[in-house]
Amino acid sequence: MILNNRERTVNLLHYKPVDRLPAVHFGYWPELLEEWAAQGKIPAELAHDNHDGSDKDHELDKIIGWDFNYSHVIGSNDHLDPVFEEKVIEVLPDGSIRQQTRDGVIERVKPGVSSIPAEDDYLLKDREAFEKYYRPRMQFYPERVEAGFTRFNDNRPQDIPFGILLGSVIGNIRNMTTVTGLSYLMYDEDEDLLADIIDTYADLQYRCTEEILKTGAKFDFAHYWEDICFKNGPLISPAKFEELCAKHYKKRNDLCRSYGIDIISVDCDGVIGQLIPIWLETGVNIMFPLEVGVWGDQFEPARKKYGERLLGVGGMDKTALRKDKAAVDSELARMERLASLGGFIPCPDHRLMPGTKFELVQYYAEKIKEIRL
Amino acid sequence: MSILDEISENLQKGKAKAVKELVEQAVESGISPETVLKDGLLAGMNVISEKFKTNEIYVPEVLVAARAMNMGSQVLKPYLEKEGVRAAGRVCIGTVQGDLHDIGKNLVKMMLEGKGLEVIDLGTDVSPETFVQTAIDQNCQIICCSALLTTTMGVMAEVVEKAKEAGIRDRVRIMIGGAAVDEAFCARVGADKYTSDAASAADAAVEFCRELAQ
Repeated sequence: MILNNRERTVNLLHYKPVDRLPAVHFGYWPELLEEWAAQGKIPAELAHDNHDGSDKDHELDKIIGWDFNYSHVIGSNDHLDPVFEEKVIEVLPDGSIRQQTRDGVIERVKPGVSSIPAEDDYLLKDREAFEKYYRPRMQFYPERVEAGFTRFNDNRPQDIPFGILLGSVIGNIRNMTTVTGLSYLMYDEDEDLLADIIDTYADLQYRCTEEILKTGAKFDFAHYWEDICFKNGPLISPAKFEELCAKHYKKRNDLCRSYGIDIISVDCDGVIGQLIPIWLETGVNIMFPLEVGVWGDQFEPARKKYGERLLGVGGMDKTALRKDKAAVDSELARMERLASLGGFIPCPDHRLMPGTKFELVQYYAEKIKEIRL
Repeated sequence: MSILDEISENLQKGKAKAVKELVEQAVESGISPETVLKDGLLAGMNVISEKFKTNEIYVPEVLVAARAMNMGSQVLKPYLEKEGVRAAGRVCIGTVQGDLHDIGKNLVKMMLEGKGLEVIDLGTDVSPETFVQTAIDQNCQIICCSALLTTTMGVMAEVVEKAKEAGIRDRVRIMIGGAAVDEAFCARVGADKYTSDAASAADAAVEFCRELAQ
């Protein structure tokens, strides 16, 4: 039995037989690609503007030996439209820049450092700002969904899994308000305001999803982006999350299932344990990733707790790729054990970071493909 | 319910305006500002701190409670200064050089203030020299360093080195925290304490201040 990566992935996530494990990754920090280029490991042109799923990403896959980047997803223009003007407000004496984002947030960035931005201020603080600047930008119109979806099935890569991007229920709202602002909105004197913001945005994203699926485009999985947890747990209480967000996941997930999409993942990050049961209940079945991180999270206990309805992608401790072969071998053995549980695809926990050794990544990609279940 | 309990309760609910008004009322009614601080505001933040440690509440609830505490503290500040009420200790805190992230650092700052410690917030992108010089100039008992990025966590080792060079390690404790670091890293760089969450950081800081005061 020889499968392509699409068949291999779909089979794995449906507990069906496969020929081997796929070598899957989730991209790189730009600084790492620059490091590798400077070391002569990769051509310099692959170190710049190398985005998930791009031709450069595919080229790098071949050099390293990866089968594919998990982040092959496509969606619509389901965000604020028009977005706010992205502009530099000031350059500070130390070279860092204060800039307005497309979400209406003022953030500080340091040139050459790619990371979560530091946030200084934001616009979406009250009802007036929502009604004036945000609600009008969250309205659906047909042009938000490109006409090209009618040809999607013929044009998509046939040998790798491809997902529909379902947007974000809370993560993008957090990006519009900052973590602090979102927290304040949860306890605003206008008690309905945050729910109104979330509902309005969710309705837009549902309509966009529905219009894409109506074109007949076929997807192997669906995917949300949230990044809503950190090293000590969720950035929102599970009770509030359930109250404000669960119904929107459920509605969008039910829609996907009605079109035959039963693998639904969320990019969550951090310590997610308390949100897993809520996501599972709504129909999300892959929390990507259940991070090892510095807190040592593992997929196995979660599988024991929630059973086979919990699938997994991720879980590989990427710091091993900065160490040595012995550390990678240890991770490979752990990945084999986790994969043997079924419904699990090993993948480094998120983007490979600076200091990762090129040869160890090649070694991991080669060895993970040798694992037969 | 006493007015001090009301202050504590409203602070825990994040009712900033109510806390401000109640603190004003309490002071006007003749309760000493120090009592209002300790048995009202800090008592409320202590509850928040404990609940945060045990995951009964989350970041949003801490942030709104801290906002309420700040409102109350602003009312009390001139009275406390006038009466010469001293904080239980002094801490300088910042995110290390190269790193602009401040959510974690701000959470720790709030928790430290919630324990009655005076906090000098150095902001983000703070050089090792600034940490150490501030600790010397301001007589801080503790330096708190935060880092989100794996690329900047190494600066924490430089803070420890600079503090050694300046000869202040016998009287200044160095605490570290952030997404990228852990206990093993703390031991490796020679810092005094790693804590995994903001509330535990505040507990450890209070303990250090107590030790150093003896």
